[in-house]
Parts: sequence; structure tokens; C-alpha cells
Amino acid sequence: MIKTRTWIVIIAALVVAAAGAILSIRFFGAPGTTAEIVKGGEVLYTIDLDRVAEEYKIEIGETDGDRNVVTVKPGMICVSSADCPEQICVNTGWASKDHPYPIVCMPHDLVIRIVGTNGEADAEAG
Amino acid sequence: MVKKITAVFFAALISAAFTACGASREYSSDFFAMDTYMSVKTCGTDATGAAEDEARRLETLFSVTDAESEIGRLNANGRVDASDETVELIEKALEISGITDGALDITVYPAVRAWGFTTGEYSVPSPEKIEELRDLIGFTNVKTDGNTVSVPDGYMVDLGAVAKGYLGDRVRDILKNEGVTSAIADLGGSIVTVGGKPDGSPWRVAIRDPNGDGSFGVIEVKDKCVVTSGGYERYFTDEDGVKRWHIIDPATAEPADAGLLSATVIGEDGALCDGLSTALFVMGAEKAEAMWRKEGGFEMILVTITGDVLVTDGIKDSFSLSEGSPYELKVIG
Repeated sequence: MIKTRTWIVIIAALVVAAAGAILSIRFFGAPGTTAEIVKGGEVLYTIDLDRVAEEYKIEIGETDGDRNVVTVKPGMICVSSADCPEQICVNTGWASKDHPYPIVCMPHDLVIRIVGTNGEADAEAG
Repeated sequence: MVKKITAVFFAALISAAFTACGASREYSSDFFAMDTYMSVKTCGTDATGAAEDEARRLETLFSVTDAESEIGRLNANGRVDASDETVELIEKALEISGITDGALDITVYPAVRAWGFTTGEYSVPSPEKIEELRDLIGFTNVKTDGNTVSVPDGYMVDLGAVAKGYLGDRVRDILKNEGVTSAIADLGGSIVTVGGKPDGSPWRVAIRDPNGDGSFGVIEVKDKCVVTSGGYERYFTDEDGVKRWHIIDPATAEPADAGLLSATVIGEDGALCDGLSTALFVMGAEKAEAMWRKEGGFEMILVTITGDVLVTDGIKDSFSLSEGSPYELKVIG
């Protein structure tokens, strides 16, 4: 028989845990709102989009004909320019937690993917 | 004891809230195949490798850019002795061409190439060239005799409008045979689902907004495919400032211009959904509605250039427009 006092401790712990989870999500962003920049099958960057304070750019690729410029803003990421022929990666626009569409540059073997799904949708058709 | 309970509770709360599979273990893999990027997530049972293997296998049959594939050999030689599977998919595509009055046509590829959509070297072909291209389009000229497939001189077949959907059907069958009861796969923007989520709720599939970043709504599905065709990703702007996209109207050999920005088809048959999404985009809202009434077996979400989102009756309760969406929702009943 578990004593009443023990129950109180358990319930209090659960309340604290739930509150902790909610607060950490609120202030630190939910785990899972993460973008990975993958080139040639290798994860080059892992970015917690909820912790991005200011916009910045990342240049990917070292030779002409293999370059993509990635722009990261609070909560979102896109390929802002590229020297590939069809510009599909640029046309794809921003990816974010509620818009988990992968940004793909086939000719440069580059993918920016949103890892985990804590947003509105499990996948996106398009 | 208390610590343990707290830890378990905390872990369950986090995992239930933040992975597609909820409390079940999630397995995922992603890969390039069929000229696109694919990702597969299964819940509880790992069978993602089998899905990737299947994509690679079908690529060796259907790829239009691989001269050694069955389609590659058909295009090079005008005829090929093909596998049962390739013949089956060609016949299925021809059937969809039939019911859509040619709005889907697997022989449109020479026009797609001439406009530059395979190379990125975009140009508007001359009126004479367009005329020539029109003569190279015609699904009724694709002949199958047993396993022999043949086309007239200059014709090229591309199964791109149905291949990802067919892969979706195969992936769903393979995953089910492996004992998977809950999975979601993104096959280059074509979504296929097995069952619902492990907690019994449906999968939530967002639909891309053809007018901008993000999505305009979410459809909830179980055991269904969701396939969208639109002109928002592969396009160029011509000298007159007109947006020219990669979906070619087989009747004109020019980019489709039927008043739609995107067409999404939801149904159980992936190849049909895939082929229809292209066909509906080409035929426009009015004919699409007539076809939905006549043929049935699928549901659709159409985005028009005038800002309407048209949703068929069968999914009106499972589709929701995003908050603050500029579109007007209209139900086709």
C-alpha cells in the first residue's frame, strides 16, 4: 500500500514534469523543429530553427556549377540562390515546421529537410 | 520509483507529441530515386529499406533518362520487349488517357524537352516547331502486343506522370506484407500512407500553396495517396512576362492553361491519383468536376487562378483550410 504522502510526491512530480515540458517547448522551441542540410548524403549542418535569432546565410559548394546559398531566418530556411539549371530549389521557397516540404537540388545532390514533425502536418504533398 | 515514473511520463509526453509515430518507434530513411527525393517513415516495424529497393528497381524499368531502361530502349528503338510490369503501367496510363479524353498523355515528352524542362535551357518554341511537336503527341499510337510495346518514329514515352504513384502502390503493398500497419512516405511530393498513425488518428498531409511559401490546408487520410500537380516549382517566365510551367497540354504542345494553379487527387490507387492530378490540371475545374461525377473513385482539391479552393464532397470534413488563408473554400457536391 503506497502511502498518501508518496502519492502526493508522485502527482507533484508529474505536474512539475508536464509544466517543465510545456515551458521548455514555449521558451526553447519544440524538439524537432530542426533543419538538416545534407549534401552527398552527409549532414553538413543541423540547425535548430527555433533558436535562430537573426537572419544569416550559408554558402554550400566550393566550385562553380555546384553552389547553393542557404538563408536561415527564425523558424524557417530556404535556398535563396543557386547556380543550377532549373532553379527548382530556389522556387521551392521556405521550409518550416508547419511546412515540412524538403528543399531539393538534384544536380547538386543537396537536400534541406525538416527533421521530426511537431508541426501541423506529417508530410506535405506538392 | 518516483523519478522513474516521472522520467517515463516525461519521455512519453515528448515522444507522443513530437514524432509522427507517437509512442511507437519511428524508423525513417530518405534517398534519391526516380529523379526525385524520397523519404519513408514506418512506425513500429522497420521496412524502409524495402521501399528504397523497390524505387531503385522500378527506376531501372521506367527511367526516361536512362538509355538502358525499358522506356529508354523503347524511345531509342521505337519498340521494346518489356516486362509485364512496364506493359501493365503503360496500359494503365493509356486507360487514364482514355477516361480523361487525352488530358494525360504519356507521349508528351518531346514537347516537354523542346520547352527546356528537362535541361533548364528554357525557350518558347516557334509556331512551326509547336506544330511539329503536336504531330509527335498521341497516346492512341502507343501499341502493346503481348509484351511488345511500339511507338511511331520520333515518338517518346515518359511514364513520369504515373510512375511515382505506381511506386506508392508498390511501397504500400510491400510495407503491408512486411507487417507494417502504420507508415507515411513522401515520394517526391506524392504522399502515400499505410493505415493511420499508431494511435488510430489519421495522417495529416499539408498541401502546398501554389501562390507562395507554405501550405494552404491539411487533409486527413488513412490508407490513401495524396498527389498534387502544379506549375509552381518547374517553370520559367517568358519574354512577355508569362509564367510557363512544365505541365504540357497534349492538345496544344504548350504549357497547360486551364485556370488552375494546382490539382490534388486523393484516393486509394496511387497510379490513378498521380495520372489524374496531371490530367485535372490540364483539363481545368469544369471538366474535372464533370469527370469526378462520371468516374468517381477519387476526391480532389483544386486551386483556381481566381483564388478558389474547390473540394469534393467526400473530403469536405477531412480537409481544412489554413488559418488566415486568402482562399475561398467551395465544396463540389
